[in-house]
Amino acid sequence: MKTLFLFPNKFKTIGWILFVPAIMLTIIISILEINTDEILVINVVSILETSISLKSSFFSIIKNGVVDEILTITMIIGGLLIGFSKLKNEDEYISKIRYESLVWATYLNYAIILFLTVFMYGMVYLNVLFYNMFTLLLFFIIRFHYMIYKLNKSSNDDE
Amino acid sequence: MTNNLKVLRAIKNISQEELAKQISVSRQTINAMEKGKYVPSTVLALKLARYFKTSIEDVFSLENTD
Repeated sequence: MKTLFLFPNKFKTIGWILFVPAIMLTIIISILEINTDEILVINVVSILETSISLKSSFFSIIKNGVVDEILTITMIIGGLLIGFSKLKNEDEYISKIRYESLVWATYLNYAIILFLTVFMYGMVYLNVLFYNMFTLLLFFIIRFHYMIYKLNKSSNDDE
Repeated sequence: MTNNLKVLRAIKNISQEELAKQISVSRQTINAMEKGKYVPSTVLALKLARYFKTSIEDVFSLENTD
């Protein structure tokens, strides 16, 4: 079947290899509140940098600990590869399940954001926005694989 | 929409797995269609009809709710 916008099946494995360690590290770092700002400090190109104390700067080279950037990039690319690589037996029914899982995940994600927007205030709300970078992908991946698992189970039971 | 894939498959004495292979879809898709959980695309419906050497109306039929 022709599928638009999906990666070949082998990319799925690469996705898991990138995603799982990155999300584990991110969870550990945020639970233990480890400060990674002083680790892996290198010069980076910054289009815009703003801070409360200093003046903001455009197009400059700044020093920055890149642990958080690496984790964010790894998690997003890994997550995209897991969610949007073809399954071995990709066909139109699987595509339908993929689409429905994505709709489901989007509703859940924004329902949570709406709830937290109403009930969370101050700095903690920034955390909500931070986690939100990954939650849509995460909910989608969980839902999609759960539906595929259920499908395999129910069609194996029939044999 | 209902279908009599299961009957046609029984007449031909072919497993879900084999039918899936013949029309290049997953076995889960055949299973879901037989259970009425999935309505196939026109292409897949035509492929099934061709495989069973019959017309599409002999495989699929509309229900009152459609």
